[in-house]
Amino acid sequence: MVRKKWLFIALCAVLILVALVLSLSIGMYDISFADCYRVLIEHITGNISDPYEDDIIWYTRLPISVFAVIVGAVLALGGAVMQSMLRNPLADPYTMGVSSGALLGASLAIILGENILPFFNDQWAKIIMAFLFSLIPVSVILMFSIKRKVTATKVILIGIAMMYIFSAVVQLIMITSSEETLAEIYSWRVGTLALTTWETIPIPLAISTVCGIILMYHHRRINVMMAGANSAHSMGVDPSRTLLIETAIVSLMTAAVVSFTGTIGFVGLVGPHIARLFVGSETKYLIPASAVFGGLFLLLANCVARVSGEYGLPVGVISAIIGCPLFIFILIKMRRKSAWN
Amino acid sequence: MRLVIDGIEFGYSSVPVLKDITLDANGPQLLSIIGPNGVGKSTLIHCINRILSPNKGTVFIDGDNVNDVSLKDLAKKVGYVPYSANDTFPLSVVDTVLMGRHPHATYKSLNKDLDIVYDTLRLLNIEDLALRNFNELSAGQHQKVMLARGLVQEPEILLLDEPTSNLDIKHQMEVTRILRDLALEKNILIIMISHDLNIAAKYSDTMIMLHGGYIYAIGTPSEVLTKENIKAVYDVESEVIESHGRPHLIMLDNEFDDRGTELPTDTYASKVKLD
Repeated sequence: MVRKKWLFIALCAVLILVALVLSLSIGMYDISFADCYRVLIEHITGNISDPYEDDIIWYTRLPISVFAVIVGAVLALGGAVMQSMLRNPLADPYTMGVSSGALLGASLAIILGENILPFFNDQWAKIIMAFLFSLIPVSVILMFSIKRKVTATKVILIGIAMMYIFSAVVQLIMITSSEETLAEIYSWRVGTLALTTWETIPIPLAISTVCGIILMYHHRRINVMMAGANSAHSMGVDPSRTLLIETAIVSLMTAAVVSFTGTIGFVGLVGPHIARLFVGSETKYLIPASAVFGGLFLLLANCVARVSGEYGLPVGVISAIIGCPLFIFILIKMRRKSAWN
Repeated sequence: MRLVIDGIEFGYSSVPVLKDITLDANGPQLLSIIGPNGVGKSTLIHCINRILSPNKGTVFIDGDNVNDVSLKDLAKKVGYVPYSANDTFPLSVVDTVLMGRHPHATYKSLNKDLDIVYDTLRLLNIEDLALRNFNELSAGQHQKVMLARGLVQEPEILLLDEPTSNLDIKHQMEVTRILRDLALEKNILIIMISHDLNIAAKYSDTMIMLHGGYIYAIGTPSEVLTKENIKAVYDVESEVIESHGRPHLIMLDNEFDDRGTELPTDTYASKVKLD
């Protein structure tokens, strides 16, 4: 049984590698799979024969595909931890209000233009503002915890309250902004990987790797939290403290990717449930399984997004359109092992 | 192991529940807490394992104030089985019970922990459920699994909140007997909340009767389960007879018997099918 769980994880990991290479040949500009392979080898060995193809494969498609894997892994892993901690199948990494905070930060950066943060260009100002604002809800919860005991319900309610406040301010900004600004805010809101370059990757990768390792290290206490606050307490886990620490970690790593991509939905909510169907809910297996499945899923969704429509579609839209029917299909097929009874 | 409760008081908002509870329990035994609904039985055991903090008074375990012990160390000494458990996500019975090993677990202890889990499942006659999903089990099976999770903690004091409320009479007796045997075999002070006074009286070494926020009576089952105490605490008329050296309660409801209400003559229930 344990072997089957590791097999699922290994299978997803192998499929990621295969899909990563295949994804390079998918896009508006037609390059065959064999040519992609040639361009990669040429770049690594330094004998670049076609700089245009090199630019498309190495500097455009490869970083997007690599980042798709990272973002998918972070969101699904974050969703798995939040669901287990809050004992709520509807929880996802955005439950704490991370995405709406990021949207507000990015919107402010867009309307205030380049003057908002000295020393940074427009693009980085947007990312930094999104990152800082996305951490406001978790900061509010941390401050709340000084005065009152934090429970799963309070975390959800504070997250929802913050989400409404941020959304209201964003609406206000959108009403009063110009058509051009409106379009920019809207496109950020939908979530896309299209702007990814190699410079995008190191910061979110570093933050999410550290956070992911810490969460994996904490897998036992996250597991015990599934038994409920009183039971966790009696098994030696402080429920309030654990809830605060783990949600802060999830928020940090979610903020690190969302600031670059905008809100990409679905994978953080349903990714862990699909992983659960194959490996069960034990956190030790669920964390890696959600991460590899989420990474694989967003990579594939991004391939579809790239060739959809005239100029490609945002990956957030595609992931929901192909992911939800897939999820319902798997749920029906495997109903006896369903995540909900 | 010795549990000393020194004058604890607890209230929810402005409603006092426990008023000056003092207790000294020493040595392995099965100790039952009885009393009407809302009298503070669960509140009392939540104060013992620090789920709740008393407004006043202190709880000592083996001479240590429970507030001065780390939560993990406390969990090595005090186990707790909640009244009901309904996990949201599907976990196997083994994984559910294995959680109880958390206070003792290290990265190398998994095999030993699993051995303890399977031994405990065998002890409670539920080893056949080991690989089933916890969510698929009946309420009675849930209670046995929860009990197993409390036992694998290997505590010196085990707190149980109505551990047999969902079990049929055979399993109620079986589980309570196992608890009594375990108390002596493994040197555990088992504190159990129960609404089944006869089962509690049959197997307990000591009984505590709570009433009005105080310990109304404490002692052997024969000392506590008297018809005067039952009338005073539950406001129910009863007779107490002796069965195998233990008190056995027969509840009377004179008010109902005296009414003489008769059913209509065509009322029946039968297993015979209609023609």
